[in-house]
Amino acid sequence: MLMLFRNCRWGGSSTSDVASECEETVDQGLRRAQARSVDQRKPRRSLQLAARAAAIVLVLASTAQAADTSAPAVSKHDLQAKIDYCETCHGLSGRGFRGYYPIPRLAGQPPVYLQNQLQAFTEHRRKNIIMFNVAHVLSPEMETALTSYFAGLNPPPLGGAPKDLVSAGKQIYEQGISASDIPPCASCHGADAKGNDAFPRLAGQLNDYIFNKLTNFEKERGQKPEEPDTSAIMQPIAHALTEPQIKAVAAYVSSLE
Amino acid sequence: MDLRVRRSKTAPPNEERGRRLRSVVGLVLALQVGILAFAFAVTGRTGDAATVVASRHGVDGKLEYCLECHGASGQGYHGFYPIPRLAGQQTKYIENQLYAFIERRRTNSIMFNVAHVLSPAMVAGLAEHFRSLSPGPIGDGPRGLVKAGEQIFQNGIPDANVAACSACHGPDGTGNDQIPRLAGQLYPYLVKTLANWAIERGQKPANPDTSAIMKPVAHSLNKPQIEAVAAYISYLK
Repeated sequence: MLMLFRNCRWGGSSTSDVASECEETVDQGLRRAQARSVDQRKPRRSLQLAARAAAIVLVLASTAQAADTSAPAVSKHDLQAKIDYCETCHGLSGRGFRGYYPIPRLAGQPPVYLQNQLQAFTEHRRKNIIMFNVAHVLSPEMETALTSYFAGLNPPPLGGAPKDLVSAGKQIYEQGISASDIPPCASCHGADAKGNDAFPRLAGQLNDYIFNKLTNFEKERGQKPEEPDTSAIMQPIAHALTEPQIKAVAAYVSSLE
Repeated sequence: MDLRVRRSKTAPPNEERGRRLRSVVGLVLALQVGILAFAFAVTGRTGDAATVVASRHGVDGKLEYCLECHGASGQGYHGFYPIPRLAGQQTKYIENQLYAFIERRRTNSIMFNVAHVLSPAMVAGLAEHFRSLSPGPIGDGPRGLVKAGEQIFQNGIPDANVAACSACHGPDGTGNDQIPRLAGQLYPYLVKTLANWAIERGQKPANPDTSAIMKPVAHSLNKPQIEAVAAYISYLK
């Protein structure tokens, strides 16, 4: 249907002209499809028998397979469609994208962290209307498939941060700021900032995204006090960091591969 | 009767005539070269394009020409085809589209003719000017579809893998950098653009461009959804 719709030629100054042109094309398309199916009835009888036999074998094989697995598998087509959808906003290979808002890199993110965030969006513990809509329709199997897919990607960082802040950021990242009781980021996020398990990867993350998240931490995360989550660990750190410090550390990690 | 051709008594002899002819030709040639040299000196387009700025007069003249089709204040116009609003459009987006028309990555014979004569300085000057225009929206979408359109625009259609338009175009539809402003765009233009995305944009697969990002979105939207979201957008200020 969509193919036929795409063949509509649009012209004229009103949508009624457009609609009639489309209907013509739909009819033509249907007739063409019917003509094709008639032609395809012509092949030799032996070929038809072989095809039928193969189909039976395939059906038996697939049902046998389904009996072994407990969870319904996500079809390749559905997964690819969902990946394309995610990448519309999150950028090619999940490298991040500067849309109206800076949209974060997902590539190389530990699957556990991504799953936690999707869950947090769905349960409104993390506030984001767009991501709520995205997340709450995902099945557990789709979540697993998606998060392991993005975890395996490794495009180069998107970049865009001011280079002169990088060395100050590296200092904060590796040594923390003892005067403000801020531990080194490296102690949880790793010396290479690639994260681990529930601790997110920061390497190659968009600097403006990091800035937004750290400055808005209290307003976005842990929004259900009766259901505290892993975001609580970052709350005091985000609170203690000053804006120049956030900008510096964001510039540093955004440059890391 | 004497029919011999008689040389005029005042005509100079052949040699003299030849010399005069050569000197006249030489003078004409010299004059032509001089005119050319002067012309090149005045236009001076040997420097790089970035340093050459289109004069205010030049941009104004070209602007009038653009506005003939795109509306007196760039608000768009219902011509034989719906002609899009340019007012308030992101400069980077207009520049990208003009180059896409020129390189035929975006197919439109009228806009190819318009675009391919523009110098880079003119492209930049025009884009800057359109950004500054701010007429209200024409507002031509069917009112009954606006509510459904708002849903799609702000929330997307997760089951159909359609991202929320607001994520990239902004909750007010004003866009950012390369991402176009949608607010106040003409309803039939939006409908046509989304429906025909695959046959109009990214027409040089060997030279992919930013239009690729919208391809899956345009593909996943069905006709009623396109009409709804277009109606909503057409009223955004």
